[in-house]
Amino acid sequence: MAKVMLGESEKWFIIHGIQDDMRNDGRSCEDYRHIEVETGVVSNTHGSSRLRLGSSELLVGVKVELGSPDPKAPTEGLIHFHVDCSPNADPSFQGRGGEDLSANISCILTRIYCNKSSIDLNTLGIIPHKQCWVVHVDVLILECGGNLLDAVSVAVKAALHNTGVPNIQVTDGDEGTQEISLPDDPNDVKFINTINAPVLVTISKVGSRHVVDASAEEELCCNASLVMGVTKRGRTTGMRKMGGGSLDPESIPEMIGTGKNIGRQLHISLDKLLKTEQGMAEDIEKAGYL
Amino acid sequence: MLKSKVIMVKTRSGKILKIVREHYLRDDIDNGLFGGKLEQHPELQNDLVPSEHFLIPDTNVVLHQMDVLEHSCIMNVIMLQTVLHEVKHRSSPVYKRIKLLCANPDKKFFVFTNEHCIDTYSARVKGESTNDMNDRLIRIAAKYYDKCLKDRNQTAVLVTNDRANCAFAKKDGLNALTIEQYVKNIVGYPELLDKLAKADEAIEVDKSISYPEHLKLSQVQAGVKSGRFFQGKLGISRENYLEGKIITHGEDGKEILIQGRLNLNRAVHEDVVAVEMLPEDQWSNPSGVILDVTVQPGAEIADAEKKKSTGVPTGKVVGIIKRSWRPYCGILESFGSPEMTRHLFTPAEKRIPRIRIETRQAKTLIGQRIVVAIDSWPRFSKYPQGHFVKALGSVGDKDTENEVLLLEHDVAHEPFSEAVLNCLPPSDWSIPNQEFAVREDFRDLPICSVDPPGCTDIDDCLHHKDLGDGTVEVGVHIADVTHFIRPGTPIDNEAATRGTTVYLCDKRIDMVPELLSSNLCSLRDDGDRLAFSCIWIMKPNSEIVSTRFCKSVIRSKSSMTYAQAQMQIDDKTANDPVTMGLRGLNKLAKILKRARIEKGALSLSSPEVRFHVDSETHDPIDLQNKELRDTNSMVEEFMLLANCSVAKKIQQEFPECAVLRRHPEPPQSNFDVFLNAAKSRGLELNAATSRDLAVSLDRTEEPKEGIHSYISTLLRILATRCMMQAVYFCSGLESDFRHYGLAAPIYTHFTSPIRRYSDIMVHRLLAASIGADKTFSELLNKTEIQNVCKNLNFRHRMAQYAQRASVGLHTQLFFRSKVVNESGYVIFVRKNAIQVLIPKYGLEGTVFMDRDFEGNTTVNADDLKYIEDKCEITVRGVKLCVFDEVTVQISHDATNVQHQRINLKLVYPKITGISIPSSV
Repeated sequence: MAKVMLGESEKWFIIHGIQDDMRNDGRSCEDYRHIEVETGVVSNTHGSSRLRLGSSELLVGVKVELGSPDPKAPTEGLIHFHVDCSPNADPSFQGRGGEDLSANISCILTRIYCNKSSIDLNTLGIIPHKQCWVVHVDVLILECGGNLLDAVSVAVKAALHNTGVPNIQVTDGDEGTQEISLPDDPNDVKFINTINAPVLVTISKVGSRHVVDASAEEELCCNASLVMGVTKRGRTTGMRKMGGGSLDPESIPEMIGTGKNIGRQLHISLDKLLKTEQGMAEDIEKAGYL
Repeated sequence: MLKSKVIMVKTRSGKILKIVREHYLRDDIDNGLFGGKLEQHPELQNDLVPSEHFLIPDTNVVLHQMDVLEHSCIMNVIMLQTVLHEVKHRSSPVYKRIKLLCANPDKKFFVFTNEHCIDTYSARVKGESTNDMNDRLIRIAAKYYDKCLKDRNQTAVLVTNDRANCAFAKKDGLNALTIEQYVKNIVGYPELLDKLAKADEAIEVDKSISYPEHLKLSQVQAGVKSGRFFQGKLGISRENYLEGKIITHGEDGKEILIQGRLNLNRAVHEDVVAVEMLPEDQWSNPSGVILDVTVQPGAEIADAEKKKSTGVPTGKVVGIIKRSWRPYCGILESFGSPEMTRHLFTPAEKRIPRIRIETRQAKTLIGQRIVVAIDSWPRFSKYPQGHFVKALGSVGDKDTENEVLLLEHDVAHEPFSEAVLNCLPPSDWSIPNQEFAVREDFRDLPICSVDPPGCTDIDDCLHHKDLGDGTVEVGVHIADVTHFIRPGTPIDNEAATRGTTVYLCDKRIDMVPELLSSNLCSLRDDGDRLAFSCIWIMKPNSEIVSTRFCKSVIRSKSSMTYAQAQMQIDDKTANDPVTMGLRGLNKLAKILKRARIEKGALSLSSPEVRFHVDSETHDPIDLQNKELRDTNSMVEEFMLLANCSVAKKIQQEFPECAVLRRHPEPPQSNFDVFLNAAKSRGLELNAATSRDLAVSLDRTEEPKEGIHSYISTLLRILATRCMMQAVYFCSGLESDFRHYGLAAPIYTHFTSPIRRYSDIMVHRLLAASIGADKTFSELLNKTEIQNVCKNLNFRHRMAQYAQRASVGLHTQLFFRSKVVNESGYVIFVRKNAIQVLIPKYGLEGTVFMDRDFEGNTTVNADDLKYIEDKCEITVRGVKLCVFDEVTVQISHDATNVQHQRINLKLVYPKITGISIPSSV
């Protein structure tokens, strides 16, 4: 994780500020920083998004391909997450330096996505036991500025929402074989339903209070945090405690309540944005990176 | 401006890829109107278009109406990039033709890169198919041109075949016409109409027939993959155009018979088709009936006799994988009034069905040889639909007929191109001095050549010298063609495509230009020539002591014909070194031949005739059988020896890439009919090995009671037809090298480089192996060699067919004003006819047994008894059996100008109502 150097007194300054519901960038404890999201930024993927949260910057690309389903769930498709930490974000990511972090993030993503209530994997099945769509979600971390997990989850939801799976047709061939034919029109796609896709909300315990969307500095002051996947309806799809410190059992329900609340709000504003993005489709020039 | 183009593709391994290509738009793309390729004022007038106009054809027009576009009056055409792309994707032969047109400056075809022009670009609209998008792009481009041309009072005319597209275009205010409308109203070129390929809707529906639908290509492929269907190239029988067979792919390529119009289901000879097997109880046998289209048009023998207990695998065509239609030569049927526009066309190739065409020039075309292309074969049309391409000349005219047979056999006969001629040495070329340094000098040896009369491309010479120590030196000297034809030059490429020189009765289509074939390379007795020599030291009993190969310079002492050489040998007074050499060679040749036959080489026979041609009209005036003298077989023997020696050498030096020739052993089933026929006359033949066959054929030469003495020759002729084709191949890709007919373990062609390209390749290999020349990459690449060999095999076969057809043509010309009675022999007995061979003229023909000599069917089935096992047919109590001697009257039938042919009528034995009365 990005190294921010903080002196002991600077830490106390931040902790005391939070105690008074006044963080050092002026937010209150349950405020998010400004989020910037754009979809469809990489044309040779099936879906993509770019996200900026504070100074955290991410790029997510989604590719779909044909593959064979898991024998345990023959009618379902598969989603694979892969996180890549660019050495641009932090020099320590060079070589294999970012592996721990990326394994950690992809593990959490897999946990909150690969269940029936998040995404209906049946819609990604093609021929039971034989063929299904395999969705590869590639996350590229370009800059670290705190609260990576939340940022990643929001960007992934946006990218999945933007993903068009080709409308292939299955025709019966000879002797039980099935032929897959591709539509003539590349625009003939079906978008992945992300209505139940969760986002991650990290609630960090700092001193005796908890904050959301901790900046890199605040993360250094926090003893322990709770990461939870929250769907649009407020359902929790996964939870995990992070950090070395301990949490007071009494404060946990309180933190969960905050998480659910914040998650719902996050979904509402993200969905609004995605809807307008999709409506505008190709008409607008993408900001992208150029 | 940058856009991107997105395509989805499914790869062969089943992956789905999304491919994104950058697509740049420009505003400075030339539209050809201002000082470009297009004329400022196009001249072609059309009744439907009031102003000067340019043409914009759409994809379907280019795909189907190339013959119209190629006409000289169609100029000033704007070819859109969209159209070219689509054409390239759909048909590569058409794409090649359109590329040629665009490159021709006289045609004024302009290619407009509309998809990169900012004014005519459009992105794909959601839910639009590729076809629709292309049509829309074409319309946008047409609209753009209209706008550009407005100031000049000119228009752009969109020519389309698609009704919907036409309607859309009209709605957009464009000048859109269908190709029919446009061509019909062109001023001054009525003949263009015939070149129109017919659109499907315009086709008349023939209620009498409805073919089963073809399966979709994807279904066919899936079926072939799963083994339900069989894929193969259809070969229609030469005798019955409603019967064909395919040989399936794979190791155990088996034959599947396909019988009848409906089972053939619109497949044409040489198409690659998918075939489904019929249930075993419907299996049938190849019919013994000869179907003769020209005697009774449309006659079809009812398939009453189909039910036989045993049959061969039989199937039906369910889909067509690849059409191999080409333009066909032939004639227009004469029935029907010439004023009518719909006519039937009969191709010269018997295996191609008749083609329905539409023409207004029927009056002039009748009596002419014409070329027609097939456009389509709809389900409800008995015959395929086609259109007229060009006329070649009148029927029966020798030049026209020659042209036809060259075209039909795909023989390249146009004069050599400039590039090829540029490779030739100057005509006063003489051997440069440095050649003497690297070559052996054989100019003092008694070398001579022996060839048929009139031969100008002499590629082999011989010599024989007694060394005085009980051994003799024998040399075969072959023209050193590779000295002049260097690898990779245009002349080399041309020779490789032509493959072989084609000898017709009255002319020769050279593989290399005449300067080489008849002068510089031809080993005439008028000077020094470069040669590639093969020298043996032999014992008098023909045992070879040593063999060596070298490049040399020779001077032939004498160019003789076979007859001259024979006379010299027989002339007791001549004792010059050349004659002595000939005698020595002759003696050795006899020993060699005996040894070869001992090993099991076959001596087969085929009737060959030679025409005496009138020196002025070039019409045949007489013909004679080719005589075989000792000297013929003398030359042959040494050529065989040279070929075998060279084959051994190059195979040793280049085991992976030697060019060899092999003659596969025919499967025993090939001999079934032949052995059965012989057996019916009490002759037991054995064809288990080539040696057995040779021995048993020799035995038939002994006179036997009840059989004429010609039977042995007849049997040899028939045996020839049981053989497989000998083929060239690359030694690295095959394991079986044997030559069945010659009973040689390894064989190649070395001795005729002037007329065969295979020999040129062998020369190069041999030269490389003795260090006389360099190797190069193509020479040592086995797949490359195999490809060349494939082409050579094809060319050789075609040349053979063309030769045969030429003999047929000349026989016809010869009998033009003659009626001759001649004796002949029955060589096959069919269900309704006998096949007769007349050895004197090398002529073979059918005498029908189910109709009288005038061709009217009078014989009913009860009078006709056919016994297949005994090869005999009994008509009205007269029994005819295979190998019987008969007398037939040969005449030229010109009653129908369209179908001039040789008629055979039975004279003896007399059969009431079939043979002609002797008074006639």
